[in-house]
Amino acid sequence: MSDRVGAGVPGPKRAVSVSGVTKVFNQGRPDEVTALSDVDLSVGDGEFVSLIGPSGCGKSTLLRLIADLIPPTRGTVTVAGEPAETARRKQGYGIAFQQAGLFEWRTVLRNVELPLELRGMSRSDRRDRARQMLTLVGLEDFTSHYPGQLSGGMQQRVAIARALAVSPPLLLMDEPFGALDEMTRERLQAELLGICAKTGAATVFVTHSISEAVFLSNRVMVMSPRPGRITAEIRVDLGERTEATRQADSYFEAITSVRRALRSGNTPAPAAP
Amino acid sequence: MKWVKSILPPVVVGIMALVGWELTVTLGRIAPYILPAPSAIWAELVAQRANVWAAAVASGENALIGLIAGSAIGVVVAMVASRVRLLSEISVPFAAVLNALPIIALAPILNNMFESTSSVPRRIVTAIIVFFPVFINTLRGLREVDPVHRELMASYAAGTWTFARKVRLPGALGFVFTGLRQASSLAVIAAVVAEYFGGLQDGLGARITSAAAFTAYPRAWAFVVGACVLGLVFYLTTLIVERLAMPWKSRLIT
Repeated sequence: MSDRVGAGVPGPKRAVSVSGVTKVFNQGRPDEVTALSDVDLSVGDGEFVSLIGPSGCGKSTLLRLIADLIPPTRGTVTVAGEPAETARRKQGYGIAFQQAGLFEWRTVLRNVELPLELRGMSRSDRRDRARQMLTLVGLEDFTSHYPGQLSGGMQQRVAIARALAVSPPLLLMDEPFGALDEMTRERLQAELLGICAKTGAATVFVTHSISEAVFLSNRVMVMSPRPGRITAEIRVDLGERTEATRQADSYFEAITSVRRALRSGNTPAPAAP
Repeated sequence: MKWVKSILPPVVVGIMALVGWELTVTLGRIAPYILPAPSAIWAELVAQRANVWAAAVASGENALIGLIAGSAIGVVVAMVASRVRLLSEISVPFAAVLNALPIIALAPILNNMFESTSSVPRRIVTAIIVFFPVFINTLRGLREVDPVHRELMASYAAGTWTFARKVRLPGALGFVFTGLRQASSLAVIAAVVAEYFGGLQDGLGARITSAAAFTAYPRAWAFVVGACVLGLVFYLTTLIVERLAMPWKSRLIT
C-alpha cells in the first residue's frame, strides 16, 4: 500500500517490540506444537496494529506473549522498553478478550473499578475514574446495573472501559468484537478508534475479519499457521476513519491486498472464509 | 394476578388433600394409632401450643448452631482443599465415606461422652451431617473459575490471596448456597432425630417419642407438624439469605 504518513510514527521508545520469538507448547512431549516460529513485531507509540490469519496461526498466542500471560520458549518481548513481565506487574497495558469476562457479582461501575482497586487507588478516585471511562463508552446511565442485565454489546463496552481504566499506553485486544452482530460491531469499531485517538494508546488487535483489520489499523500483519509466523505486512493509509471510509476505493484496495496476502501465505490451505 | 395464579393451585390441592384425609379417617373408621384425623391433630396442636413452641425453640437452636458450625467448617475445609491439589484429591473420597456413615448412629455414643444435660451431642451430630453438602458444593465452586477471569487477574498481576478474595470466593457463592439449601433441611432432621437416642430430652424428637409411648398419637402428630414447620422456616430463611447475599441473581431459584 501507499506510504503511511502522520499517526503512529514510531518514536525512539516502542510500545511493543517482539524479536526472534518462538513458542512451543508441550515441549518434549509427543503432542508438541510449535505455535509461533521466529516472529518479529514492533509497534510504535500510538500505532494501531492488527494481527490477522486463519485459526491456529498463533495470533492469540502472540498477544498472550506480549501480555506476559505465557512465557516465550525463545526470543524476547519488551513493552515500552521493559521486559513484558515488568510491564504486566506495573499494569502497563489494558486487555480485552472475545468474552467480556465481567464479574457477574460486581456492578458495572465496580467491574471497571477492579484494576484500579488492585493498584491501590482510593475509593473516591477510582469511582470518578470508572465513571469517566463508562461515559467514554456511552454507558454512564448503567453504572449500577449488574452485567447480567446488559446486552452482549454493552458488556463488551464495559470490558473496554475496564481495559482503559488505568490509562494504559498499550491496549491488547483478542477478537473483542468477535461475538457481536455486524451492526454493533461497526459501531464499536468507530468508538474504539475515537477512544484510541483521545487516549493516544497503541493497540495490538487480533481479528479474523479482513474488513475490521483494514478499517481499524495503521498496519495489518498477516499470519499463517504450522508453524505460526508473520508472512506479510500491509500498511493502511485511509486518513481519518468515517462511515464514508467503508465505501472508499482505497478501503477496498486495502481489503484486496490483505486478502491476497492471506491466500498466498496460506497455500495450499483454502482461503479464509 | 400472576402471584395468585402461582399460589392458588398448591393451596387448593393442599386443602383438598386435608379434606380427603379427614373424610377417609372418619368415614373409614381408621384407628387413631394408624392415622389420626387432621382435626384431632389440629386440636392437639392448639392445646399443646406452648409445649410445641418450647420444643421447637430447643430443637431449632440445636439445628441452627449445628448448621452454622458445620457450614463454616465445610467452607473453610473446602477453601484449604481447593488450594492444595493433593488435599483436594484425598478429601473428596474421605468426605464421601464420612457422608456414607450413618452419623445418626453416633448419637448414642456422643450422648455417653457428654453429660445427660448437655446439648452438645445433638449439635455435633447436626454439624457433621451439614458439613458434607456444604463442603462438596463449595469445593466444586472454588475449582470452577472462568479462564477469562484467570487471565484477567494474571494481567493485573493479582496475587493468590487477592485472586481468592476477589474472584474465587464470590464466584463460588452460588455453589455454597446450593449446599446450604440442602444443609438447612438436613440440620433440622438431624437435630430432631438425634434426640431419639437419649441425651437431653427437651426438643421435638423427645416429645414425639414420649407422646407415641403414651399412645397419645394426635399429640405425637402435633409435634411432627411442629418439626415440619421448623424445617420449612430453616429452608425459607436460607433462600432469603441467598437472595440478600447475591443481589445480582434476578431469580430466587436457579
